[in-house]
Amino acid sequence: MASQSDRALVERMTAGDDRALAELYDRHASTLYALAVAIARERADAEEIVADALGQAWRTAAQFDPGRGSVAAWLATITRTRALDLVRARGRRALALERAAGQSSEGLAAPLAAAGEAPDRGVERLEARQLVGRSLAELPEPQRRVIELAYFGGLTQTEIAAELQEPLGTVKTRMRAGMEKLRGSLAQLLSREGP
Amino acid sequence: MTDHQGYRELAAPFALDALTVAERAAFEAHLAECAICRADVQAFREVAGALAYAAPAAALPAELRDRVLREARHVRPLAGRRTVGPWLAAAAALVLAVAAGYGYWWERAARDELSAALVAMRARLDSADRLVGAILDSTVGTADLAATGKAPTMRLYWNRARGLVVVAAFDLPPAPAGRTYQLWAIKKGQAPVSVGTFNTLPGGRAVITLQMPAGFKPDLSAVTEEPAGGSAQPTQQPFLVGAWQGG
Repeated sequence: MASQSDRALVERMTAGDDRALAELYDRHASTLYALAVAIARERADAEEIVADALGQAWRTAAQFDPGRGSVAAWLATITRTRALDLVRARGRRALALERAAGQSSEGLAAPLAAAGEAPDRGVERLEARQLVGRSLAELPEPQRRVIELAYFGGLTQTEIAAELQEPLGTVKTRMRAGMEKLRGSLAQLLSREGP
Repeated sequence: MTDHQGYRELAAPFALDALTVAERAAFEAHLAECAICRADVQAFREVAGALAYAAPAAALPAELRDRVLREARHVRPLAGRRTVGPWLAAAAALVLAVAAGYGYWWERAARDELSAALVAMRARLDSADRLVGAILDSTVGTADLAATGKAPTMRLYWNRARGLVVVAAFDLPPAPAGRTYQLWAIKKGQAPVSVGTFNTLPGGRAVITLQMPAGFKPDLSAVTEEPAGGSAQPTQQPFLVGAWQGG
């Protein structure tokens, strides 16, 4: 059977087809779990986050709007939001925030490369990991850092400026420049992901 | 138009969810009118979505799959039919339309900014004079929030000219330790927006001033109990709901 698009799976989920959820899990759970660990650090918390996030996706599949982006991006957004909420509720800082803000200039991309790849079901996802990791690693370090602080650390621009003790204008410029570069280097991936 | 360049700077942080509540509200108003920025946001949002792939690889626990599927079997997806109970009695169509419209990128209500705004507003409205002034202004709209006819009750005064919401709560016991009450503003077709968190005094009373997100014109308001610090979106059914009137 030809594999269905993510969107078709979400469509089936709205009809209560849990096999579609299982398929979506097989495609995306490893990415979502890695994201949850990157933010929440505790594996038990990360499991909770992914289970909650996919539960939310299951319940609200009918509200998925392809006009706003891919299914992968939708799932990542739900997971990231839940992970940051959990970290904040516990009065902690995101793991990535400490790493990215800390002394290290390695950011998050370096551990990714160093840790090696966990077994991943999909070759495409493996390629995506490598491409995104490499693209981030190729950014000038200050640009990469502000992007990581925002995405994995959950900080606003203003908070990033305070965290790094840099002018807000500098943070804005770096964020925009870094995102523009990623937009270019990820163009191939993003066009392929599609709806 | 003249401000376009200034707004354009906000597309990347908007997609990264790195704007304050006020910045985001202003930028969303701009987005409604600006196709260039909408296109930017769309592209940057896909970039942001792909950043999840940059998280260091972590071995997925084998038992998680069963857990997710087991939990799903106990819940039906929302499909525009029955679902979340009393919440829907008042807000059904609104809540269902929520994620379909403004959707999932609205999800993060920035707790920190709201808390800061709350502190600032509390300081500014320290004096009773100012409070009374806020309530008596000619632009004030009100909403009575009730829980199916019995205590607790709540009256909200929204001073549109100053963007303030005065919350007067009655017979509402203080939230348990580690929990807080959170006020939501709900507009048709959009996600609930947090107006702020609050708590009551031991006597069950509270008069608190919060700030309505700039430019936001809700149809309904509702109150939920949330973990301390508040939540990005309601995590439970509201126990107080009411529609905005007049003003």
